[in-house]
Amino acid sequence: MPVNFEGIREFARIAQDPQELVRHARGNIELWANLFVIGWAVAFMLWQGFGFAVIVGTVFAIWAILAVSLNLVVGFTGLLSVGHIGFFGLGAYTMAILTSDPAYEQLRTEAIPTFGWPFFAALPVCIGLAGLTAVLVGVVFNRFRDDIFVLVSFGFAIIAFNVFLNLRSVTRGAFGIHEIARPEIGGWVFDGEVEFLLLALVFLGLVMLVSWFITTSSFGRVLTAIREDEQAIEVFGYRATHFKLAVWVISAMMTGLAGGLFASWTTFIDPNSFILLESVLLVSIVILGGLATIWGSLLGAMAFVLLEEGMRFIPYLPTEYIGQARQVVLGILLVLLMLFRPQGLVGRYRL
Amino acid sequence: MASNRESARGLPRLINVPGTRLIAALLTALALGYIAWKIGQAPPQALQFAFNGLAVGAVYALLALGFTLVYSTVWFFDLYYGAAAALGAYGVFYLRTDPSLGSRLDINSIPVNVIFGTVVAGVIAWTLHTVLEPRLRARASPTALRTGVALVAIAMGIYTAIVLSYPEHLHLTLSPAVGLATAAVGIVIAQKVAHEAVSTANSTLVALISAVPAAALGAWFGYLLFGTPEAGLYLSWGVSCLLAGCVGLALYRGLYVYMRERARSPLIMLVASLGILLAIAAFIVIVFQSAPRPLPDAFGSTPLNIAGARIKGFNVFAIGVALAGFAGMWFLLKMTSFGRAVRAIGDDEEVSKVVGINTTVIIAVVFFIGAMYAAMAGILTGHDTAVQPRMGLLLLLKGWIASVVGGIGNLYGAIVGGFVLGLVEQFGIWDLAGEWKDAISFVLLILFLSFWPRGLLPRR
Repeated sequence: MPVNFEGIREFARIAQDPQELVRHARGNIELWANLFVIGWAVAFMLWQGFGFAVIVGTVFAIWAILAVSLNLVVGFTGLLSVGHIGFFGLGAYTMAILTSDPAYEQLRTEAIPTFGWPFFAALPVCIGLAGLTAVLVGVVFNRFRDDIFVLVSFGFAIIAFNVFLNLRSVTRGAFGIHEIARPEIGGWVFDGEVEFLLLALVFLGLVMLVSWFITTSSFGRVLTAIREDEQAIEVFGYRATHFKLAVWVISAMMTGLAGGLFASWTTFIDPNSFILLESVLLVSIVILGGLATIWGSLLGAMAFVLLEEGMRFIPYLPTEYIGQARQVVLGILLVLLMLFRPQGLVGRYRL
Repeated sequence: MASNRESARGLPRLINVPGTRLIAALLTALALGYIAWKIGQAPPQALQFAFNGLAVGAVYALLALGFTLVYSTVWFFDLYYGAAAALGAYGVFYLRTDPSLGSRLDINSIPVNVIFGTVVAGVIAWTLHTVLEPRLRARASPTALRTGVALVAIAMGIYTAIVLSYPEHLHLTLSPAVGLATAAVGIVIAQKVAHEAVSTANSTLVALISAVPAAALGAWFGYLLFGTPEAGLYLSWGVSCLLAGCVGLALYRGLYVYMRERARSPLIMLVASLGILLAIAAFIVIVFQSAPRPLPDAFGSTPLNIAGARIKGFNVFAIGVALAGFAGMWFLLKMTSFGRAVRAIGDDEEVSKVVGINTTVIIAVVFFIGAMYAAMAGILTGHDTAVQPRMGLLLLLKGWIASVVGGIGNLYGAIVGGFVLGLVEQFGIWDLAGEWKDAISFVLLILFLSFWPRGLLPRR
């Protein structure tokens, strides 16, 4: 996609006249959503200080990678997947098992095999394993659409969670895996929060770049056509199933990358990070931000992360219920969006 | 139209690869052979697993029944259904907790009482208005009608809030309501019978004559209830089922109706109801905290011994409830004019509107009944194991799977699918650990969708 010079020229023309600008801004939900979320982010940074913002920023980056990758499937191809948390967990567990410290592992009862690899050696394995699983899952799931696809993707998330929880000889079940390595390049360890944030942002940029290439290429146009009318694009000689499988695998690989990053960031994982609810929240982020736009996913992830912080302003709300209150707000937001704005805040595609 | 709905359902066609049927037959033979082999190995243990499977299957069957009813009427997946199960179970927890179980009897949350009072008031107002408006349109002024309806609704809302506020005196607060309901049901039945027997009978006269014994019966019932505090548990089941049903009805009438007018695809409804599920689940955690909580024992915990296998009395009761639920729904759908209307709407909503069916009312009642089934299933699960806020989503998915396995949109399929799912789950964990049962049911789902996409008993 070339840069939209027309739009910029149009904006420059409008911006010359303040009255025109106001008239243009009124009722423009996209503009207000952008202004609101970004303004909120800036205000939050000023309020809480840089250090806290860095941690929130890393959370944002990981959610954003997830949202961007899921948007490829949900927004651009029109398959509402609630199962991506499975790939996320797969990436995280691969990273955990490959990089966790074997010396530490020997000290624990029921030692599980760990390898002590460096982060950057394990990351491709995370991506590859997620992709491989996605091929297997995708071949089965490819024939389902709409409601039934939602159901089977729920199923994938639950099966994955069951594996993480119950395959104790590999994942150590509910006890989780400790001492996951932080990334390092040539002796320089990304152990500070700022360094990790930068790394996460670099990966986010890469993921965005890849999905930008995908969505603006002819491949992406076929995906959009599949979303609009699968039978029509098959008439033109495109094998819809192959395209769907390809984008499913690419999206799963990106999710696996996010999983690896997440495991390395928290240095401890257990199955509770990969419950079905997280997957539902992820889908809500994508829908909230906007379907079929990369920027929408970023906006959704940012709004989601900031929503939690915003909840602290509500009086009489005990701190332990902040997550739940956010969930209530998110649920109500989803209902309102579906009523009035089925494409999400800045979306290009109505569900 | 049919093909349209087919695509809306997203059900795949059978794979057009030669040998699919062979693989399917092979899989079935393998599964049956495995079960037969296991049964041959240890018959008493097999019986035990079968009992467990039937007990779990009863809950799934109830869920599938309600789910199928709702789904085959409106053709979208209403995820509130899962929240209804959790609401039902937590309703019983809220109304009936034993202090000896270590739970808080003092969770008497005023906001919860007020919210449910408001919901009930709204539902009563809507019901009264729908029922009375066409009959009294000629006789009463709209303002008087509205005022009367509003007054009754507010009174009922306050009554609900009072009932919820004094859970330990449920038998006292509910005895007038139960008495009145008995009397009303008596009058209606008498009227129906008279109408069947003598088609020219004067219905007012019949109502007046039958009112006397019915009122006496109602008063007697109320009096009986007044003196039995042990009935509290069973009353709390009724109350929570009704409350979950009221929320379902309110959701449909207050939200889904408008959403369905604009929705371009069933996914919109699905996502919106997902939002509702999220919000209600989180709301439950806020009120009741997230730890699992036990419900008081319903029928004692001594298991029955049948041929070396043991089954809890409560599980037998659950199976009975599932069968009764099936019988009730069969009667409702096949024998009444309401059921005809429901099936007509399921076949084609536009045409039903054209022929004069009030689709909004019928579908709202369907949502009420469906949510009540879900709540009952949630209550049974809660008594069998424990209540926890996340149970809703999982129960919903199990009901969904059971209805796909049985054949989506088919009443008989729902009950068959529920029991089959329960049995497969229990026989599946014979060699695996019990924690894998959720994974097993989803593997079953994927197998079914791949090889028998229309389920065991397809809808015609």
